[in-house]
Amino acid sequence: MRAVGGTKGRAVRTGVAIALASALSLASARAEASPEDLFGYGARTSAMGATGTAFAGGYESAWHNPALASDVRVAKLTLGYTGGLLRLAARGEGLPGRTSSQAVTGTTIGAEIPLPLGGIFAHRLGIALAFYEPTDVVVRGRVLYPEKTQFPMLDNRAQSVTIRAGIGADLGYGIRVGAGFAALAEIVGTVVAATDATGRVGTRVEDQLVATYAPTLGVSYDLPLKGPELWRVGVTYRDSLAARFSVIIDGTKLSSLQIPLFNISGLAQYDPAQVAVEVARKEQLSVLAAQVVYKQWSRFNGVLEPTVVCTEGGAGACGLIPPKIDWKDTLVVRLGADQGFRIARGAVLHARAGGFFETTPLPSELAGSEAYSQGAKGVVAVPTRYFDSDRLALTAGTGLTLTKPLPPIDLDLFAQYHILLPRTVTSVDPSGGVLSQGESSGHIAVFGMTAGITF
Amino acid sequence: MLARPTRAALVALASLGVGLVPATALANPPDTYGFGSRETAMGNAASADTRGFAANYYNPANLARSRGLEISVGYFRADHTLEMNGRDNGVDPVKGINGGVVVPGKLFGIPFAFGLGVHLPDDRISRVRALRQEQPRWELYDNRNQRLFLAANLAIEPFPWLQLGGGLSFMSSTRGKLDISGAANVLRPDDSQLRHEVDADLTAIRYPQAGVRVALSERIALAAVYRGEFQLGLDLSAHLSGDISGLTTALYELETHSVNNFLPQQAVFGGSWLLTRDVRASFDATWMNWAAYVPPVAQLDVVLDIPPPAGGWPATISPPQTPAPTRIVPLRMHDRIIPHLGAEWRVLDARKLQGFLRGGYEYSKTPIDPQTGLTNYVDRDRHTFSLGIGLTARALARELPGSLSLDLHAALSELVSATTSKASAADFVGDYTARGHIVNLGAMLTVAFDGWGTPQEEP
Repeated sequence: MRAVGGTKGRAVRTGVAIALASALSLASARAEASPEDLFGYGARTSAMGATGTAFAGGYESAWHNPALASDVRVAKLTLGYTGGLLRLAARGEGLPGRTSSQAVTGTTIGAEIPLPLGGIFAHRLGIALAFYEPTDVVVRGRVLYPEKTQFPMLDNRAQSVTIRAGIGADLGYGIRVGAGFAALAEIVGTVVAATDATGRVGTRVEDQLVATYAPTLGVSYDLPLKGPELWRVGVTYRDSLAARFSVIIDGTKLSSLQIPLFNISGLAQYDPAQVAVEVARKEQLSVLAAQVVYKQWSRFNGVLEPTVVCTEGGAGACGLIPPKIDWKDTLVVRLGADQGFRIARGAVLHARAGGFFETTPLPSELAGSEAYSQGAKGVVAVPTRYFDSDRLALTAGTGLTLTKPLPPIDLDLFAQYHILLPRTVTSVDPSGGVLSQGESSGHIAVFGMTAGITF
Repeated sequence: MLARPTRAALVALASLGVGLVPATALANPPDTYGFGSRETAMGNAASADTRGFAANYYNPANLARSRGLEISVGYFRADHTLEMNGRDNGVDPVKGINGGVVVPGKLFGIPFAFGLGVHLPDDRISRVRALRQEQPRWELYDNRNQRLFLAANLAIEPFPWLQLGGGLSFMSSTRGKLDISGAANVLRPDDSQLRHEVDADLTAIRYPQAGVRVALSERIALAAVYRGEFQLGLDLSAHLSGDISGLTTALYELETHSVNNFLPQQAVFGGSWLLTRDVRASFDATWMNWAAYVPPVAQLDVVLDIPPPAGGWPATISPPQTPAPTRIVPLRMHDRIIPHLGAEWRVLDARKLQGFLRGGYEYSKTPIDPQTGLTNYVDRDRHTFSLGIGLTARALARELPGSLSLDLHAALSELVSATTSKASAADFVGDYTARGHIVNLGAMLTVAFDGWGTPQEEP
């Protein structure tokens, strides 16, 4: 039986379109992590090694530390543009070499709003809003077969929308506290196909995009040290942000055939829970900062889920099971500096630099995966070709801050260069036999600029 | 080569095709239920009158009327009682948070404002629902309002009598592909060895809105607003392949393009008139370009190949049958002009407290052609009557140097009873009488840091 186009297959095609609309709109909600977790957020702090937990101001504090939004004194709107290029490579037998050279571009929108309360609350509260929208996509979702060479920690992570908000309060005595959230969406849905009493095949499709949130909590403390400089400690906790997609396709009521339920599911987005601790030394025109971040990747369950929903036990109780990977918690060390120079009345030029080093959560030895082989008429082991490396990033940037008598405008530029340190990743079968072995490497270049205006 | 046809997937997916149309048309929930209690109570006659966060929907130019930071948050719930032949159709309520912020200031000496407005439904950000085209559904209420509304705008006031504003609202389209491969066991489904792969993008859709407000005098203002059209595309491809219980193979490949969400462009002309010191009247006329409606019909290209096994199919297995083809019947709609009328009476004007009574009316004639044929996109003419109260308190404490406003609204929409007579006596659904009503209740709390609350004294 073969049908190509024409009316005979139209009904089938329409139905499949609906099923896929359901199954794919779910994936549309997916991305594998936030770009701010990869590169930082905001042109000023991104030039400073993505530090900022103890000194970031304005809209950037929505990501770095919402407690610092309490320093907002005037309303400001910031627009910006970010571009980047990922060149990732996996080399070895059966591996493609360069796997990705995708360009990443997006728009940054930031807003900072002082809360003009009076009395004891005067000049103590501020709000920060942070958005980033990739130019071409809101989010990119890829859940690929594990034997396909991929960098699951990097491939799609820069292709995701950012929506963050925070509020900060100055409690006095050098203490600031703040809270905020990050928002994303996940999709749940069903596709039910059944034959009615008249013999017609009918379908009901219902997908829902559901909001998912992750809280961010921050605190900072100005150390009571004497001298012209200010020493501040900042601590930020960001809860994990996970967004699944899950669409169940149910064709069990179509006929007497025993058709399994299809579980078209996966993890669309995952930012691990993390704690950032930073010490910053601030003077009127300079900032030095050192930061350590702990990321709890060990709670990451991977992006794949079983396809068949079993009669007993649900998905994963039978059939093919995705590979189990022992993801590792990671550490990031960041350093950043900013030096300002008064170049004219009301004009300060900034020079910024920094860097960070982030370990990879991906173990160097991975369990193989399972797939059905038509040739072997059975399940065979296939390699899990995931790659990732420790990442070293060097950052730099400049900025121009104008105040009265000049127009109240800020211009900031930054550039980052990430090096993926060469690393061998091996996939093995249950008996320890090597299924695949390769070396991951590559580099990432990122640049961006923002313009902010106070009003 | 691991990929081999999967009959289970094929049957389940392919059989979905009979009698379907893709997702129903979507629109903004504020189009139907209003945005903000004050404006909803005034029959949504607000393009020349609104201010604060609600301007993000009604007229972004009006954001520039704010003189201090305004933060609003509220909640509304609209319950539908929509019935056919006396039986309730169970249309879900629309409920959720409305809110927003207006941040005004001066830019090069010119009043300027930035605004964000959002309607965030309780249960979901959006919903896609696809039904067979002959299945009766309330086309404009069943699913179209089950979604987020998010708008960002900028506005300026170059002259005291002129405000200009505009911005974007946001949605997204989908493109992607799905692959299911492995072996399906139709005798013991739990023994199926299947995997899936998804590669999809959610692409950004931005549609514009812009507005202007002109104060003709201290008492009269006129406004014009444009809201852009958007179409949410759905571009999909699928590859299903696998082994069927060791009997045969199956291959299914599909590519499809469809527009599954559509919002018509709109133009609004409105006015506001301060009749007395305490009474204001307003009107809006909204043109909705429903005639440009793009029916949710998919363009498809498909390859289906399931060879019979050697020796034919076992007696216990029925080979997959291609469902009977469906002729997609276009949905024809007409442009409509929707009148809105509103009034507000300041009944209390004390030094620190003001009170308001509000009322409104709007009439929305259905844009959908009579459903005398196969399809059953049910709709009826709608009359909406609304009421509301508002209280604005000033200078409550040193800590709150502005005003605090509480606004409540109640709106009743009556969908006029009418009978749909089918052209064919053998119609599967038959003649039906449809009617209903919608009850919309809500409240908004606004903190304004400029002490505003005397709109009657402004044009």
